[in-house]
Amino acid sequence: MVERKRIEIPEGLKVKESVGEEAEYPFDISPMYEGERIRKGDMHVELGGPTQTGFELVIALPEDQVQDMKASLVGPDLDEMEEGKTYPYAMIYYIAGKQVEVDLEPVIERRNHDFQNYIEGYMHLNQRYDIWIRIGKGAMKKGLKSLIQIAKATMMLFKNELPFIEKIEAVYVTDKDLVEKLLNDLAMPIYEERDKRVEMLHDEDVDEFYSCTLCQSFAPTNVCIVSPDRPSLCGAITWFDGRAAARVDPEGPNRAVPKGECLDPISGEYSGVNEFAKQESGGEYDRIKLHSFFECPHTSCGCFEVIGFYMPEVDGIGWVHRGYTGTAPNGLTFSTMAGQTGGGKQVVGFLGIGIAYFRSEKFIQADGGWYRVVWMPKELKERVLNYIPEDVRDKIATEEEAQTLEELKEFLKEVNHPVVTGVVRPVDGKQITEGWKEEVEEMVEEEAPAEAPAEAQPVAQPAPMQMPQMPLQLPMLQLQQPTQTGAAPAGIKLVIKDAKIVIDKVIIRKAEKKGGK
Amino acid sequence: MTVITVAGKGGSGKTLVSAFLIHFISEKNSRVLAVDADPDSNLPDALGVSDEVFRTLGDVRELFQVSRDDMGTLNKEQWIEGKIYGEAICECENYDLLVMGRPEGEGCYCYANSLLRGVLRKLLRHYDYIIVDSEAGLEHFSRKTIDTADYVIIVTDTSKKALSTAKRIKELLAELKMNPTLFLIANKVFSEEGEMKIREFAKNEGIKILSVLPYDEEIVKLDLEGYPVTSLANSSPVFKKMREVAGFFLSIKATTT
Repeated sequence: MVERKRIEIPEGLKVKESVGEEAEYPFDISPMYEGERIRKGDMHVELGGPTQTGFELVIALPEDQVQDMKASLVGPDLDEMEEGKTYPYAMIYYIAGKQVEVDLEPVIERRNHDFQNYIEGYMHLNQRYDIWIRIGKGAMKKGLKSLIQIAKATMMLFKNELPFIEKIEAVYVTDKDLVEKLLNDLAMPIYEERDKRVEMLHDEDVDEFYSCTLCQSFAPTNVCIVSPDRPSLCGAITWFDGRAAARVDPEGPNRAVPKGECLDPISGEYSGVNEFAKQESGGEYDRIKLHSFFECPHTSCGCFEVIGFYMPEVDGIGWVHRGYTGTAPNGLTFSTMAGQTGGGKQVVGFLGIGIAYFRSEKFIQADGGWYRVVWMPKELKERVLNYIPEDVRDKIATEEEAQTLEELKEFLKEVNHPVVTGVVRPVDGKQITEGWKEEVEEMVEEEAPAEAPAEAQPVAQPAPMQMPQMPLQLPMLQLQQPTQTGAAPAGIKLVIKDAKIVIDKVIIRKAEKKGGK
Repeated sequence: MTVITVAGKGGSGKTLVSAFLIHFISEKNSRVLAVDADPDSNLPDALGVSDEVFRTLGDVRELFQVSRDDMGTLNKEQWIEGKIYGEAICECENYDLLVMGRPEGEGCYCYANSLLRGVLRKLLRHYDYIIVDSEAGLEHFSRKTIDTADYVIIVTDTSKKALSTAKRIKELLAELKMNPTLFLIANKVFSEEGEMKIREFAKNEGIKILSVLPYDEEIVKLDLEGYPVTSLANSSPVFKKMREVAGFFLSIKATTT
C-alpha cells in the first residue's frame, strides 16, 4: 500500500495558512448552485482543466497528524492571478476519525465535487486528475479573495454532511512544479492502488449487492443483481455505481440487496438474492445463481449487450454481441435469440450479460468459465482478449474459423478444445463434462454425406428454447436416420437426450444442411 | 428559467424563428441557452456558429457507452457532466449552445439517459432563457430530456401540410400532459388569402398569433449562400418583426421577476 503521509512543502515556496472556522463567507453556500455554469467570459480564472495540471485527493491519516480546520495554500492566490488565465491546481485533504479508513478515501473524495458546487460562483467539474474549476468574476466582486476561503467552506461542508470525519485539513497548491510533482509521486500511485483494489474486490468481500430496476418498464419481472463480480446486463452499472445511487436514493431504481447466507459459492447463490428475486418478480422465480449458465441463471431483461447460447452438438457455449449482424453457428442471429430470451425470464440455455462480465474472475464459473466457451465473433473476442486465459485463447473460434456447427466441430477437434475431452472447471478442479463420445463423432461422419442441395441456406429453426439441465450426459441417440437420397423430404432429425430414467426433452428440428453460401 | 420551444413542420421556418429569438434575447440577457433539438435542423448554421460545435449530446452519450467499462470507480454522472459542460456546450459570444445530435444507436440507453436527465435538470435551471429548436415530434420532451416548456411557438407557412402539423403538435402537447402557453407564428406569408387561412386556423384552434412574417427573398438568398439568417438587413420586415417578438418575451420575464 502506498504510504499515507503529509506532503512536504519545499523550502522557498510561498505558503499562506489559516486555522479555524471562518466567521462569514462572501458567497452563498447552497445546493441550489449545483449545476451552475460559469462562462468563459464571466470567469475570473480557471484552475486545472484540459490545459493545466490539476487533481484532488483525500488521504486518511492518524488523528494526531491532522490539524482540524487548517487550510494552507502553496503558490499564488486568487488576487495574485491574472484575469482570464488558467492555473494548475491541487486540492489535498487530510482526514481523520475513528471510522475513517483508507477504503473510505474515494467515497469522501467524490463528495468534493458536490460540496464545492454548493459555492456560489465556483464551478467544479470532473474528478481525480481531470478536475476543472472556474471562478466567476461575480464572486470576486462580492468579496472572494482567497482559495483559503474556498477550502474552509468545503471543509465545513465535509464535516457537516459527513459527521464521521472528526478532523479535516486542506492543502491547496497552485505552484506548477509542486502540483506536477505531487500528482506523479503521490496522487497517481494512490489512484492506481484504488483501481487495483477494485479489481480485487469480489462478491465475498461485501455485505450487500445492488438491484437495478431501471428497465422494468420493458421487462416487468426482470431484476438485475449487480455484484462486484457481476455488472449489470446492459453493461452500464457496476457495483460501485449501484452503491453510489443507493446512498443518494435508497428507494430508487438501485436498492441494496443484503447478501444473506452464501448457499453455494461456486454458482454464486445467496439467500438474500433469492428472497429479493422472489419478491421483486412477484414469485415468478425464487432462485438466481449469479455465476451459473445452466442452473437458475440470472434473468435477461432485453438490454443485455451480449447473449450466450448453449450448443448441445458441441457441448459448449457461444456468445454473440448486439453489433454482430451475422448468424452464430447455431444458425441464429443476436436479435432472434434476444427476442426469445428477453423480457425478464430465466431461459435455460441462453443468458444475457454485459460485456464487462467477461472480465470477471467468476465469469460463469459454475459451468467451466472460459473453458466452456467455444465461439464468439472476432470483434467481441478482440475486445475481451486480455481476459481470456491464455491456454484457451486460441481455442475459441470466431466467424473466421467457423460459421456452421460442422465447421465448429472440426475446429474444436483440431485445436483440442476442453469441451472435446471434458471440461474441468478451474474454480474447484471438478470435471463437469465428459467430452465428446466416439459414437457422436462417428455419427457426424455418417451424417456428412447427407448434404442438401447446394443452394440451401444453413437454417436452424428457432427451435424449442429449453435445454436439458445437465447437457449431454449420454451420447446422442439418433432414432430416425435422415434419408440419404439428397432432398430429405421432411428433413427432420429426432434427438433424444438424457434418457437415463425418463426422457427429459425431445428436440425436433430440421436436419443440418450444409454447403449453402 | 423560461423555456421557449419553437416547433413546426420541417421547412416552415422554425429554425429562422429560433435563431432570431436567440439573437435578440441574448443581446439583452446573458443567461441564454440555445438548444438544437432537431436532428435535421441546422440551428448552428442559422446562427453562424457551426464551426464552434465540437460535440453533440448524442456524441457524449455514445462515448459514454463505449468508455464505461473502463471507468472503474469513477463517478459516471460526474463523467457525463464533465463531458457536457466541457465539450458539448458550445460557448458562443452571447449565449451557450447545446446540440442534441444524433438519436440513440442500438443497445440499452436507460442508464445513460437517466444520468443525462439528471445533469440537464441541474444545468438548465441556471439559465434565464432556454430556446429550443425542436422537431415536430417533440422527442426530447417525450423522453423528458427537457421536462418542461413554458411557451411553445408553432411556426407554420400557409400550406395545408404545415397547418396539420401545427394541429398535431398541439395534440401531442396534450398527450404529453404539457400545458405551455401556445403561440403561432405565420411565416412566408405572401398573400392575403394565405394570411386569412392561418388566422382562421388560429381562431378555430384557439391559438394566439404572435406575428405574421412576410415572404422574404433576402432570407432565401442568405440560406442559399450559407450566411447566418441573423445577418439579415436591419431594415427587413422579418428582422423588425422578430425583434418585436423577442421584445415580447423579454418583457414577460421583466414583469414576472
